[in-house]
Amino acid sequence: MAGLLVLLTILAPWGGAASVLLAGDQRHKTQQIAAVLCSVIAAFAALLLLAFTVTTPSVEYAIGGVFGTFTFIPDGLGTFLAAVATTIGSLTVIFSLDYMHGEHQLGRYYALVLLFIGAMCGLVLSGNLLLLFIFWEMTALCSYALISFHNDDPKAVAGGIKALVITQIGGVGLLVGILAAYTQLGTLDINMLIANAGSLPADALTITAFGFLIAAAAKSAQVPFHTWLPGAMEAPTPVSALIHAATMVNAGVYLLARFYPAFAAVPGWTSAVLIVGMISALFGALMALSTHDLKRALAYSTISQLGFMVYAIGAGGIFASQFHLLNHAVFKALLFLGAGAVIHTMGTRDMRRMGGLSRAMPFVRNVFVIGGLALAGVPFFNGFWSKELILEAGLETAVWSFVVMLITAGLTALYTLRMIWLVFFGEAHAAFPAHDAPNFMRIALGMLAIGVLGIWLLAGAFGHLLESTLPYHESVLHVDSTADMISALIAAPATWLTLAVIGVGFALWVLRERLTAFTNSLAPLMRAAAADFGFEWLNRRIVIAAQSAAVNLRKTQTGQLNWNIVGIVTGLVAVLLVLMVGR
Amino acid sequence: MTETLLLIGILALFGVGLYGMMILHNFIKLVIALQILTKTAVLAFVIAGEMNGQIQLGQSLALTVIVADTMVAVVGLALAVQVRRHFGTLDIRALSTLKR
Repeated sequence: MAGLLVLLTILAPWGGAASVLLAGDQRHKTQQIAAVLCSVIAAFAALLLLAFTVTTPSVEYAIGGVFGTFTFIPDGLGTFLAAVATTIGSLTVIFSLDYMHGEHQLGRYYALVLLFIGAMCGLVLSGNLLLLFIFWEMTALCSYALISFHNDDPKAVAGGIKALVITQIGGVGLLVGILAAYTQLGTLDINMLIANAGSLPADALTITAFGFLIAAAAKSAQVPFHTWLPGAMEAPTPVSALIHAATMVNAGVYLLARFYPAFAAVPGWTSAVLIVGMISALFGALMALSTHDLKRALAYSTISQLGFMVYAIGAGGIFASQFHLLNHAVFKALLFLGAGAVIHTMGTRDMRRMGGLSRAMPFVRNVFVIGGLALAGVPFFNGFWSKELILEAGLETAVWSFVVMLITAGLTALYTLRMIWLVFFGEAHAAFPAHDAPNFMRIALGMLAIGVLGIWLLAGAFGHLLESTLPYHESVLHVDSTADMISALIAAPATWLTLAVIGVGFALWVLRERLTAFTNSLAPLMRAAAADFGFEWLNRRIVIAAQSAAVNLRKTQTGQLNWNIVGIVTGLVAVLLVLMVGR
Repeated sequence: MTETLLLIGILALFGVGLYGMMILHNFIKLVIALQILTKTAVLAFVIAGEMNGQIQLGQSLALTVIVADTMVAVVGLALAVQVRRHFGTLDIRALSTLKR
């Protein structure tokens, strides 16, 4: 049964992708029905799979040779992420019915979205490192193609290529890590690696650990690889929601959480993870505060929230990070789709040209505010619980980092309120005929809003699911029932401290007119944040250096046969010399 | 002693072939230089077989090289004919379409 469901989770979206392409762009209705049907089937299969989680492979294909056996293991962690990917993925597909209405080449769009969802499920369910790498690269390819979906727009193409190049750096890190592990271990089995990590030579394990960290940082848009995520905002908004909430960026956090037991003992690894997450969280929040583009603000907030998750893993709070991943997926999908509804009707992403939309779009306003409060960490919305758990874990590990994360939580409240205010309240700046969201958009938004309000009640069950199927994580998963979690958090002084800081964040925005001296003193910091803290400049320098190197190397390609022969002879002499000296 | 002398001769012939490949611009002459180059390989196989006491292996490999080498010559000359027809010259410097 579990094997069948695993295959259904991965192959239903792919089958959908194939049928969408076969139907052709002439038959819109068929395409839409196939896309929605297949993504919903996958979502149901993945949710049903939650009841059948096991610790052993339920699908095995013996490939032989160095590839070993390709296995799929639906354990708690993988199944949960597959459920997130397919459920939120299917909601974005439903949302797309309205949002992408009237666009050209929708076959390509739906096929890539479905391929993306299937690849993400394969990634998290895979029990073989090589298979994991294949799916990893598939998600990179799909994200590239979807970000550049409007391929007549140079900005979209540039954003896609940037995402591809940066995530490829991560892919190389992952491959190097896998090869380093394979040469020592002789197998590509993931659980074998986790179980035997202690017996590996220290240098090989260090290469693997930091290779995987680079891969995760590039995929999850952590500093210094975060620059691709804002560029990815050129994608259609449902794709942004998919990348930010359901697929892509979760893969990095998944990788770290999955291999935490193997790498936790590597010297410096947990502190590196902790610091990467902390800096990303802080920088993301500052950059979100400095931008005027609604989607970019959300993108920066994703960097920041992913920073929280990575930070939690560094602090040993695996459950906290995965719980925040779940909550973030739900509220960020809600925020992105809500923003999509706003952008769809306004035709602009600039928040300065919005404002006063509250009356025209009451439904979107309501769900957006719900999502925003969850993002800010206001009590009784889902983001609150997981953020508190993360901060608790941080407080136990390193107090100085806890202080930084506390400031970040305050900044989160500040930029969230600023965003909501600029879009829905304040004075109207444009006389657009804004209208509320159409029906399919409402279905997706409504379901996500219900999720934001209620999904944290499942914390205990979720924790139990992870605990019972992850034998190697046993020592790092501290899980209570939901009621215990609530009472523990309410009793903790850190919770009240965080709430006070969040309150200060809100107050800063409300009192912004009276605090001009304070805000002016922060102006240089905001300018640095708006300039991406120089990382964008660094990227450009690297690209320019690579291009000039290519131009210089080009001179060696004369196209003259005689010179080529000279080159061959020189190469031959060099090889002979090396052989003679080497002996 | 004879073998060493022969090997030096083969190396010299190899140098002649390479030198021709490096400086000649005429397509036909290049094919000839390439032939000289490969003939040194044939000779080297025979000598190496003799020195190793495996003359049969050396000879059979030499025969293989001769067969392959003939095909290279045929294709090379056919290319030369086509180049002459298309570009009106046998000078290989005219063939490069790369800029600069």
